[in-house]
Amino acid sequence: MEDTPMDEGNLALETPASNVFVPPSIHRAATLRGETYTHFSPVPPSLRATTPTSTSNTTDSQQPAGVPCALGVDEAGRGPVLGPMVYGIFYLPLPLSDPLLKTTHHFDDSKVLKPEVRSSLMQTLCTPSTDLHASCGWAISSLSARDIGAHMLKPANTGSYNLNAQAMDATIELIRGVFARGVNVKEIYVDTIGQPAAYQKRLERVFPTAQVTVAKKADSLYPCVSAASVCAKVTRDAALEVLYEARAASGTKGAGGGDGAEGDEEEVDEEQSWGSGYPADPKCSAWLRRNMHPVFGWGPECRFSWGTAKDMLESKGGVKVEWPVDEDESNSRLTDFFMSSDREQDADELGTWFGTPAGLEAF
Amino acid sequence: MLEARLQQANVLKKTVDAIKDLVQDCNFDCNDSGIALQAMDNSHVALVSMLLKAETFQPYRCDRNIALGVNLVSLTKVLRAAQPDDVLTMKAEDAPDSLNILFESSENDRITEYDLKLMDIDQEHLGIPDTEYAATISMPSAEFKRICTDLMAMSESVTIEATKDGVKFSCTGDIGNGAVTLRNHQVEEKPKENIEIELTEPVSLTFSLKYLVNFCKAQALSDSVRICLSNEVPLLVEYLVSGQSYLRFYLAPKIGDEE
Repeated sequence: MEDTPMDEGNLALETPASNVFVPPSIHRAATLRGETYTHFSPVPPSLRATTPTSTSNTTDSQQPAGVPCALGVDEAGRGPVLGPMVYGIFYLPLPLSDPLLKTTHHFDDSKVLKPEVRSSLMQTLCTPSTDLHASCGWAISSLSARDIGAHMLKPANTGSYNLNAQAMDATIELIRGVFARGVNVKEIYVDTIGQPAAYQKRLERVFPTAQVTVAKKADSLYPCVSAASVCAKVTRDAALEVLYEARAASGTKGAGGGDGAEGDEEEVDEEQSWGSGYPADPKCSAWLRRNMHPVFGWGPECRFSWGTAKDMLESKGGVKVEWPVDEDESNSRLTDFFMSSDREQDADELGTWFGTPAGLEAF
Repeated sequence: MLEARLQQANVLKKTVDAIKDLVQDCNFDCNDSGIALQAMDNSHVALVSMLLKAETFQPYRCDRNIALGVNLVSLTKVLRAAQPDDVLTMKAEDAPDSLNILFESSENDRITEYDLKLMDIDQEHLGIPDTEYAATISMPSAEFKRICTDLMAMSESVTIEATKDGVKFSCTGDIGNGAVTLRNHQVEEKPKENIEIELTEPVSLTFSLKYLVNFCKAQALSDSVRICLSNEVPLLVEYLVSGQSYLRFYLAPKIGDEE
């Protein structure tokens, strides 16, 4: 995985705000176990197809479709070595897209929005009685660091499963989930991973009824993609926070003395935090170095398939592991046939190589 | 002290190339009659036995028995710097912690010198009993390599069957099966292409092709190869380096239900 260099400004944007809003899309237990999961927000009643139960004779024909919706897809946390990669989708009625998101709430690319702004937008979205909550739905898929690593590190001959393939499958699963919940998705906007054309073809085949647009920088072009990126980003930020707290808690417990003054602990936390989780972030690499177990490396928060992690574990301080050779049951061993001959026993080739002792008869 | 001068660096280059994928670290045991090496691969299925007799070197001097513990990957790196026709000299003290290797170009006066760090390797030596093999096959080394690589495409293992009719290399894989049969073949004008089969009793054994293909890297050392088989005994594949110097590979047979 390429470690993209990053300047100070970017790092600040990537570092989660402290006290980030913890959205309902954080499944704490699953996150801590390092599991991959998906979360769907309830579909706003206004988007639901009018249920066919009220009318009697539409059973065989199609269900009346709900309000036509636009759906945006974006990801967060593709590059970091720590934490999950989160895919977010966001959908709302087509005509609302511009006025509600852009004009009223100023959604923009989550990389442009400050962490605090992202967090508060997400909070609004999750608060009943707000206009966002009333007319918009969203979902996320959190691909855990553990699973990303496990898929990427599969031996090539058993079919390795790279990040792009994992991402595409997560996206498709999310959109399918929205369709399954009865939302009438008419337009799909996706921020690209790799080649837009190929990706667009694939999505068009899977979702023939929707108009699919895959574009670079879609998150700054289409408001629903911006909103999706906020969902993804805030979920990732919060997940990182949850993972970090768990780590820090176990750390202090292990250290023994745990009840210093509040202020002190805050400072220590700040100093030892893992920052943005990007390999280029010095905080992150310092944290990795400090917290590496020589055999097992790190916990489920770490993507072991990342170069940074791999190098550190394999060459810088990690214990060198000698993996046993594959035991091939069907092959016999040479040691079954040839005896160890460190003592010169028989007069065989190698036994006599260094000469046999001259017996008494020589004198 | 050891001093061994080899007229062609190539001999050592090719030898090390042939074994470096089977063995990582091993001792070069030096005494007054030459330099020997014996090592098993990690899985203890294959064994390399090399002997470079004193006559292969000009001059050769070794006062005391010395074990040179060498990492073959490192040695390969050093030998890569030698031209095939360079004169190669190895020197070591009596209790050495490094091996001095010198290449002299025969064309110009270029001299290259390396000191390779040595290590202590605790290695067990296996006694290889003298065996009267039931079948001994001499054939062009390129032919043996071709058979092994061709069959490797089909299967992981090969059954070598020697009868009075000839020797048959056969394998069965997922896509089907294949076999190559060779017979005695001697043409005076082209002795290099001769195939000679000496048989005292019929033999049939199965071996892992992965190892055989690995052995075939020694093809560069010699035009011909000798393959010796006896039932329920490891296979011997021998390449003659020059005179009585040789590179031998032993391979334990597969066990079980091939038939």
